[in-house]
Amino acid sequence: MTRELELRIGNVIFQNPVFLASGPAGYGAEYAELIDLGRLGGVVTKTVTFEPRPGNPGRRLWETPSGLLNSVGLENVGSKRFFAEKIPPLIDNGVKPVVSLGAEDWDQYRRMIEITASVEAVDAVELNLSCPNVERGGMTIGTDPDLLYEYVRHARDVLAGTAIFAKLTPNVADIASIALAAEEAGADGITAINTVVGMDIDTVDGEPIFDRVRAGLSGPAIMPVALEAVWRIARTVDIPVMGVGGISSVGDARKFFMAGASAVQVGTAIFYDPALPGHIVDALERDGVPEPCPGMREAEE
Amino acid sequence: MILSGKGLFSARVLENRAISPSTHLIVMIRPDGFPEAQPGQFVSIRITGAGAPLLRRPYSICDLTGEALTLLVKIVGVGSAAIAGTRPDEMIDLLGPLGNETFPDPVGEDAVFVAGGAGLAPIVFAIRRWTREGTIGRSVLLHGAECRDELLGDVTGGGPTEFRCATIDGSEGHHGDVVTLCEQLLDAGRIPTDLLYSCGPRGMVKALVERVDGRFAAHYTSLEAIMACGVGACRGCTVPVATESGAVMKAVCSDGTVFRAREIAWDEWKD
Repeated sequence: MTRELELRIGNVIFQNPVFLASGPAGYGAEYAELIDLGRLGGVVTKTVTFEPRPGNPGRRLWETPSGLLNSVGLENVGSKRFFAEKIPPLIDNGVKPVVSLGAEDWDQYRRMIEITASVEAVDAVELNLSCPNVERGGMTIGTDPDLLYEYVRHARDVLAGTAIFAKLTPNVADIASIALAAEEAGADGITAINTVVGMDIDTVDGEPIFDRVRAGLSGPAIMPVALEAVWRIARTVDIPVMGVGGISSVGDARKFFMAGASAVQVGTAIFYDPALPGHIVDALERDGVPEPCPGMREAEE
Repeated sequence: MILSGKGLFSARVLENRAISPSTHLIVMIRPDGFPEAQPGQFVSIRITGAGAPLLRRPYSICDLTGEALTLLVKIVGVGSAAIAGTRPDEMIDLLGPLGNETFPDPVGEDAVFVAGGAGLAPIVFAIRRWTREGTIGRSVLLHGAECRDELLGDVTGGGPTEFRCATIDGSEGHHGDVVTLCEQLLDAGRIPTDLLYSCGPRGMVKALVERVDGRFAAHYTSLEAIMACGVGACRGCTVPVATESGAVMKAVCSDGTVFRAREIAWDEWKD
């Protein structure tokens, strides 16, 4: 059993359910020579904050078995340059941006939402309320259902007509209850999962690999975690779920649809296989989008 | 400057030779459509389908002719060991050429090159390219390594007017580090002071900046870093660079690999 490729979120239409995840693909343009971005459902841009952020000092990347730890720290050009310089080239080239919005505090968040509302070309956003690599905001919001509700509710109130995805962290006891809070606050979809918190240590110099000690783990190592989160969320909420975390093959993408996802995002895999997102689109065009596994919704948690 | 034309290529290995106990010279047939590249650019090699090692590994181009693409691969872990283990006729999946800032052509001036270990790769490319094109005056190459066995001097054919080496253990050439050799040659007035080009371990380049940089008109260095995307997207390989408005984070892959060495905020660049 298969579904149509087109993904409709409110009034917003994505030509297919395959996206580039926020972070690895930068602002999209960096990969324009390597990935046919216009063939994808959309590109979730690197998280932007109201003011520019220099990102974290020190080491930012560390490879682990089948995984990648990062502590980039939301380096970004800030909202002003982002909307002036990064969005127009995507739109002009037929690429659908989903703007990932971050915030360091409530005030910055409100200003970020406000400026986003003023940009007509943007009709889809992903609220990054779950980044583990920043001092304030980020993951704290994503782990507290009440706080998350307030943030999503505010975006819903201001961004009428915009498709709003809430991106969730897996670093919680019950991700489904967080997803429910986002749904109740008016999110149009859930993106799951953000990176899994991890760390590593250099045994030679006896120091943690990262200055901030903790970092975010991505890549194939986290795929089973992501798949389980998507399954639990999809059976809890009625809004679409965008599955992300370690997708490294067409088969991996199929598993997310079978677990209940309505769309998938490819992140870390583009570093070594930029052709993968296109291959997933090819496979879905050929075979359709897989239906959720029978029995999936009935299984006991 | 943004150099375009990068892409994914599959290159057939022509020759793979251990030129030291730790370093291999890998010559591939230049893939069809592989763009012209400049000294300081690199390619990023995929190792396995998926899993471990996950990321591609970046290697400076050591030479690019109409027929061949040459790299120096120093074995430092499982990824580089896998690449160093490729055999003739095997295919290498590479992404490139990457890097937007390259070693500037000396336009006829004399130049000193300081290369530590496998940092010799982009230096050899520069010297060969400019020697072939006749755009360099006198070229002096100073190459440093731990010991005689680790010297990679036999890849410098078609190269510099003058070649000197330094080994930490004194088994060949100057006994000590290559920066001290450079300093002594400067003191003796035996090397030109127009341009300095360098590539090597971070400590070597930092020492060059601290000890000899000011005696050259300009010093360009090709930096190494752990990378994920190689195209400036992930912001994982950043280096702090001093600007008029303070230090800004630049990506080694896309804002480099070549930087003016004295502009790097070395003390803030932690690894």
